[in-house]
Amino acid sequence: MSDQGMADPGRHASWIITWFILDAVVALAPPLYWAVDGDRTSVLGLPIAALYFVSVAIFITCSIVAAYLTEADRADAG
Amino acid sequence: MLITFGAIAFFFAIIIVILQFSGIRDRGFTEYAVGGRSFDARYQAMSFLNTWYPGAMFTAFGGMAASAGVISFYVLSYSLLTVVLMYLMARPVWIWGKTFNLRTQPDLLALRFGSRHIRTIAAVVGIISGIPWLVLGMQALGTLFQHMSLGTLSFAHSVMLGVAIIALRQVWTMRMGMRGVVISDMAQGIVAYIVGSATLIGLILWMVFVRGITFDTLDQKMFSIPSIGSKEGPLYVFSLILTGAIGGWCWPYIFVRLFTADGVQSLKKSAALAVPLSLIFGVALLVFGMLGSQMPGVSAHPNDVWFIVSEQAGGLWLLGLAGVIVLAASMGHTDGNIQATGAQIANDLIGNYWHLDERQLIVIAKLGMLALTILSSWLACLELPALFSLAILAYQGIIQLAVPQFLGIFWKRGNTYGAIAGMVVGFIIAVVLELEYPGFLPWAYGLTSGTVGLLANLVIYVSMAYLLPQSREEEQRVKELFGLVKEGRPLTAPLSQRVQQSGC
Repeated sequence: MSDQGMADPGRHASWIITWFILDAVVALAPPLYWAVDGDRTSVLGLPIAALYFVSVAIFITCSIVAAYLTEADRADAG
Repeated sequence: MLITFGAIAFFFAIIIVILQFSGIRDRGFTEYAVGGRSFDARYQAMSFLNTWYPGAMFTAFGGMAASAGVISFYVLSYSLLTVVLMYLMARPVWIWGKTFNLRTQPDLLALRFGSRHIRTIAAVVGIISGIPWLVLGMQALGTLFQHMSLGTLSFAHSVMLGVAIIALRQVWTMRMGMRGVVISDMAQGIVAYIVGSATLIGLILWMVFVRGITFDTLDQKMFSIPSIGSKEGPLYVFSLILTGAIGGWCWPYIFVRLFTADGVQSLKKSAALAVPLSLIFGVALLVFGMLGSQMPGVSAHPNDVWFIVSEQAGGLWLLGLAGVIVLAASMGHTDGNIQATGAQIANDLIGNYWHLDERQLIVIAKLGMLALTILSSWLACLELPALFSLAILAYQGIIQLAVPQFLGIFWKRGNTYGAIAGMVVGFIIAVVLELEYPGFLPWAYGLTSGTVGLLANLVIYVSMAYLLPQSREEEQRVKELFGLVKEGRPLTAPLSQRVQQSGC
């Protein structure tokens, strides 16, 4: 896996950057967490207030894994 | 007590055996400070987690989930968002680190801004800000050992025992430097976050199916998030997540992880490996804390939820395992802090003004680690009522490094004057506001003092970037620096020297 002093080839695709920006938006935008404040309605066994944070966490996790898998494939192909 | 302390002793012995058998190479300061930039993605991922999540996660954030509920989930948001930053920074930071043999975070700032003084400022801020957290980490072991003693040891004696054990562990940190830290992080990380997550999930299932505890039985206040009309203010959570995500990379012991990898791809892969583990661990811990609030004894001592539920569910054996998991998480964080601080003392303070050879740098780093271990151990055994407030103050201050650090990495404009002035003004604003309005600013819709400091810092940095444009030589130097990252080509020696000349 060593790069031996070389940068990895290629830059981030625009969809990856867009997804990362959306990560920040969904995690930080106050209206989103205001909307679920105090909501204990259960969805998939979790109260909505907690489900919001878990959904944000899954969204961010998927963005990083997808970015890595895409860029690793591109590096292998290149 | 034999079972619980036996489990702790067994785990400690395993870590020491691993370190002893991993060997110590005859090496230079780069090997000592950043492990020779030799670690693959698996080591990187576990090392990041073991430094990012201290043992206090189980007590402080587990306790917050048990006492305040869903608001505690903000730690999950910022802990994952910070990995996005790691992914984006991986390429420029690693390439500059490898090309110019950078060993510390202040090294990078000195290179980017062409100033040796910014190296000193960043190092002093990092070292001083880290001490209260190091002391708090040691004191947190007091809670662990008091539970392991089944309440027979006083808290003061438990703290002393914890300090003695963590101080003993530092013998290997001093001997082996970063290589020892990263190797032990792998073993400690597996125990803390993989075994820890499995244990948390098991305890959640036990509470749900054996004890009949669900979210339906929790109090309504456990679902509130500070919003419009709340005491804290509508921007409080925003502020916590923002400063948590960007502030994490301001800690020298976190930032140095970017220099220990064997390549950019390893760093990116480590991010992809760390996030699912972080997600599972974080969700399990916070759900566990919320449900655990219903267990007998937890409401009076929410910070002890991890130990109380473990003992009730599985007796002394599970309590022993719970102690091992917390110790594993604590050791990684403390070792990383002490190692990075020692390297900074040698590289960024002493080595910034006197020419030292590789061997002298290592000796000074070891002496720095020894001094820091003794100082923090002594402080941990004292009663310091203002320690936690000092730690919060330190956090609001150190995150002011974020502006020159991130803008310096991603934006060609900006100069050393704006970087230093912004940091200093941001630091002063953050400290003054935190002293006046601890926690949050009621007149700023719940923003924290550090966030307001960051805004001022940002305005100064950007203003100075336009008011005092870079000289032609500086502009060319920075352009070449960014060119390395953009083109991803190997450096020729003359270019390397020219780009580096005024920085390091």
